[in-house]
Amino acid sequence: MDKLAFLISEGVRNLWRHKLTAITAIFSVFITLFLIGSLFVITQNSHYLIEYLRTKYKIEVFFKAGVTNEQARKIMGVIKEIPGVRSTTLITKEDALRIFKDQFGEDIVAILGYNPLPASCVVNINRKQPDSVDIRPLISKIKSLDGVDQVNYQGRLIRRIENFYQKIVRGVSIAVIIILLLTIIIIANTIKLTIHAKQDLIKILKLLGATNLFIKIPFLLEAIFQGLIGAGLALVALVGVIHAGNTYLEKLFHMRIQYDPVVGAIMVGFAILIAFLTGYRTVTKYLA
Amino acid sequence: MISFKNVSYSYRNGSGVTNINFNLDPGEFTFLIGPTGSGKTTIMKLIYMDLYPDSGKIVILGTNVAKLKRRKIPFLRRRIGMIFQDYHLLNDRNLFENVAIPLHIIGIPRNEVEERVYRILEEVGLTNKEKQYPEELSGGEQQRACIARALIKDPEIILADEPTGNLDPIASFELVNLLEQINREGTAILMASHNYNLIKGRGHPIIEMRDGKLRNG
Repeated sequence: MDKLAFLISEGVRNLWRHKLTAITAIFSVFITLFLIGSLFVITQNSHYLIEYLRTKYKIEVFFKAGVTNEQARKIMGVIKEIPGVRSTTLITKEDALRIFKDQFGEDIVAILGYNPLPASCVVNINRKQPDSVDIRPLISKIKSLDGVDQVNYQGRLIRRIENFYQKIVRGVSIAVIIILLLTIIIIANTIKLTIHAKQDLIKILKLLGATNLFIKIPFLLEAIFQGLIGAGLALVALVGVIHAGNTYLEKLFHMRIQYDPVVGAIMVGFAILIAFLTGYRTVTKYLA
Repeated sequence: MISFKNVSYSYRNGSGVTNINFNLDPGEFTFLIGPTGSGKTTIMKLIYMDLYPDSGKIVILGTNVAKLKRRKIPFLRRRIGMIFQDYHLLNDRNLFENVAIPLHIIGIPRNEVEERVYRILEEVGLTNKEKQYPEELSGGEQQRACIARALIKDPEIILADEPTGNLDPIASFELVNLLEQINREGTAILMASHNYNLIKGRGHPIIEMRDGKLRNG
């Protein structure tokens, strides 16, 4: 028990003893994890944004003049079953008449003597789709249905939004992979250097009769503490930036940057894992 | 206690030791002398298992080195105290922490560590220096610290590899006196040195090396 307490205290005190190397390691963990965390938040928020925008995609389906409200309801039931469709809302001939009257102030039945407006329905698409939404196949399917006269949708706008989303997803994915690799290399090399600088310590401890485990534990704890502190600082900075950003965004655009605490957990776990694995590998190399 | 039988070891550059035979008995103070490069340090390294012989048999404290598993080496090293010419103290720790390390390695309880460190520092003449860092100590004090670190675990033998190499004549003389005092209390000592004047007339057995061989062997 005394030995374990000693090893843990050595791990903590080593941070203080080797301040410069510890600060270097913590700083490199901080910078890289802050970047990774930022990219995660960007990806997450672009995802939330696209989901929000998809709720605004509106497809209006106009039925042929002879289609009754009952028939329109049946066709709408078929539309609802098409993959990618989230919901449908029927606008009966009478609803259309009322909307017309509200918008133009004219009673068209009084003028014409009959209701010329067709029944229609509004189709909303699924907002939670892993990939970009290509609305054209959906439109073709709706158009091919019996009783459907015309389909109105914001095709060009939707394509633009979806293409932009795709670009963001692809760009961020590539950036995440590159930064992830850089993070592994930077953290690994920093920890390697801190251990390399202590080769003499390893040699002396070996000569004094220390087992490999006795030598390894403080190094591993030191590496884990460095990873933990660096990740913790990155997390605090990231949350701080998000909060500061939200203050302005809420005032200017009534928007908020969303933040999932899982990102924080991943960042801390990632830093500890890399620090531990690199620390273990490097100490083992010098002990051989 | 230590036995070398026909031991040879050669480095990549061809130097090393050839056909070494000697025995050290418990409680004995033996000098290992010879000029620089004669193989003294190689003998020391073979004893503390930093090197393995190419041929021959080495028995350390009753253990045949050839049959010792690598993971058991630390436990045998704990029975040997080591003193080096360049001290090998840890500069990022104070004197107390340096001397206490072997006890932490063994797993001695914290309160006992404190008591033993203060006792040993008094024994080697470093009382009230426990808070100082190695760079704040003189060469002689650093070597005494090194002796304290070797002695604190009650070793059966102390290996001193050119312990006076960096010391002035007075400090060297005092150091050998201190080692003799430790030896009188029962700890065997093997001290390597190239300083004939320092060891002559002390009445201890001498193993003399020259060009990797025992001169009288």
